[in-house]
Amino acid sequence: MTRVLVPLAILEGESVSTGLPTLLATMDVTVLGYHVLPEQTPPDQARLQYEDRANAALTDLVEAFEAAGGSADHRLVFTHDRERTVDRVADEAAADAYAITGATGSVDRLLVSLTGDVAVDRITAFVAELVGDREIGVTLFLATDDEPGGRESIAAAADSLAERGLDVETTLAVDEPPLEALVEAATSHDAIVMGERSPSLRSFLLGEEAERIAAEAVGPVIVVREESADAAATREQGMDADRASQPED
Amino acid sequence: MSDPSSAGGTNVAGESPRVEPTIETDEVTITDDAELERTIGLTGGLAIGIGTMIGAGIFVFPGLAAGRAGPAAAGSFAIGAFVALLVALPASELATAMPKSGGGYYYISRGLGTLPGAVVGLSLWFGLVFATAFYLVGFGYYAVDTLAELGVPVGDGLVIPLALLFGAGVTVLNVTGTENAAKLQNGIVALLLSILIVFLSYGGLDTLGIIGEPSAPEQFAPFGTTPVLTTAALVFTSYLGFAQVATVAGEIRDPGRNLPLAMVGSVLVVGVLYVAAIFVATGAFGSDRLSTFGETAMVEVGRHYFGPAGAVAIVFGGLLATMSSANASVLSTSRAIYAVSKDALLPQRASHINLRYGTPHVALGMAGGPILVLVATGRVELLAEVASFLHLVTYGLLCVALLALRRADPSWYDPDFRVPGYPVVPILGALASFALIGFMQRTSQLVGIGIMLATAGWYAYYGRDVTLKGVVE
Repeated sequence: MTRVLVPLAILEGESVSTGLPTLLATMDVTVLGYHVLPEQTPPDQARLQYEDRANAALTDLVEAFEAAGGSADHRLVFTHDRERTVDRVADEAAADAYAITGATGSVDRLLVSLTGDVAVDRITAFVAELVGDREIGVTLFLATDDEPGGRESIAAAADSLAERGLDVETTLAVDEPPLEALVEAATSHDAIVMGERSPSLRSFLLGEEAERIAAEAVGPVIVVREESADAAATREQGMDADRASQPED
Repeated sequence: MSDPSSAGGTNVAGESPRVEPTIETDEVTITDDAELERTIGLTGGLAIGIGTMIGAGIFVFPGLAAGRAGPAAAGSFAIGAFVALLVALPASELATAMPKSGGGYYYISRGLGTLPGAVVGLSLWFGLVFATAFYLVGFGYYAVDTLAELGVPVGDGLVIPLALLFGAGVTVLNVTGTENAAKLQNGIVALLLSILIVFLSYGGLDTLGIIGEPSAPEQFAPFGTTPVLTTAALVFTSYLGFAQVATVAGEIRDPGRNLPLAMVGSVLVVGVLYVAAIFVATGAFGSDRLSTFGETAMVEVGRHYFGPAGAVAIVFGGLLATMSSANASVLSTSRAIYAVSKDALLPQRASHINLRYGTPHVALGMAGGPILVLVATGRVELLAEVASFLHLVTYGLLCVALLALRRADPSWYDPDFRVPGYPVVPILGALASFALIGFMQRTSQLVGIGIMLATAGWYAYYGRDVTLKGVVE
């Protein structure tokens, strides 16, 4: 099953919106409660004071995910460095995506961005699993300068989703600023799915793309992670093992 | 890991040590219900060590030390570096076996028992308070010199007021500041190292007569060997920072590798710089004249080699270095208080974190208050020696704790780094630490002993029913 990490600044009152547990009901969810401390404060010192309160809040959240029909667990981390913690826990939990919780009610239509150098196959496979057999429509979105090429690739992705029985539409934004066009398109959707992109100078200066979109678009943003080197290696080993075990079968 | 139920006893207020079993990995400490991220890398560890130390050795001591021991003050700094290394190696072993916040206190309370632990833990608090006060007075001198370089001569009367103001500022900023200053600290240390390397290389070449005018040769140890040793005891304050790395051991990534490298590495780096600085400073002026310049003698050395720009660079460096030393020490003090109060040897209220800023304001206040009182005395040499005294006791006992742990060899004791030359190095480390105390001024020794007796008295009153030996999370 596919796992989604939901990082929350738990002691600062961050929580999940009502629609998110329902949206993620088809997924395994790990709720990551984190608390970022100033360097003056040893993490252990904060743990002694806050862990009971934080774990109580996390247990409630896990119950909310389970009540919506999903399966969920939680972890609590005290840290000086949010980024490092989210990356580490995502790797350890083998999470395929992480969710930036926004405000949403029930989700009827997803906006799926394929813009940029992202792993389209991973994103479409994730969306297919996320939607499952539910009545959630999908709009594929692509911002590009190359209209014929863009049209072709978005159609291919739409076909592969339609084959799996999804209700798919497409939106192609040609020669528009990609981020603004995406946020514009998001107004008629309840949640956004996008791919993770390698850090660039732009993301260094302006903050991570997904977080900027989340800030603009209000609704939840689910970011499909790039396949880590470890995961790729395990998958190949797994395939090797399958092959090796075949003669015995 | 040993049975947590062996963490025993209660203090007068009925509080018990808060100890839970943990699992340590390179990236995280895992407790029953939470994880604690390790976020400080090797660079960060070195920056804490070097940043704490460099302020005193280069920017405050050269004039004072040269006045006492002549050019042989370079030897005093070398002796200090040697003693610090003898302790840094055993400290590294203990830190990799117990990568916990609290440093020396933690190892000694677990290795030797509650009484030595309490005395060391509380003495370390006061030792850091004395050291911070010393750095702040140094800062005061540099602040006055900065004003003088800017054309506002205010005289030495403002040294203490400026030091007090800055000390209060550091405390308040640490309570209210939630910005992460670690990156700034790394930058400051890198900048300081660059200034010093350029300055010392040029000055060193000049002193050796390779460039510029050859300087007049001077008798190396005009006052004999005893002043070299007493000066070593005085300037040992410039080496206290490596143990501050151990106070954040619980937050260092890959502690088995990074802790020894950061501790030993920072001692080696600053040791070389100190010896070079004395060499260059006495080469520029001769020790007699150097000593008349007092705490900010290096400014005149900078002026000698590079003219006004050199003086400005050194004044600026001195300000940064004493600031970074004071700030790093305030942080270590608050961690030292936390480690002791977690074990119920101080009221657990002391490690309370305030909701508004997420900072340990009680512990920071317990650091800042006494620091300001001591700054007001303005006694640079006394502050430095008492700080060294209290740290050296810790260092000596730390070596003893290593020997005790190696002999008892409890099942939980499994360090990643083992001290080379066991048992010679820890035995020498203990002897050298205690011997250096013997060369201090009588007043410093009396103040130091008084503080230790007071901490033992506190233990007898407050925490004598607490047991900590062998209690490991």
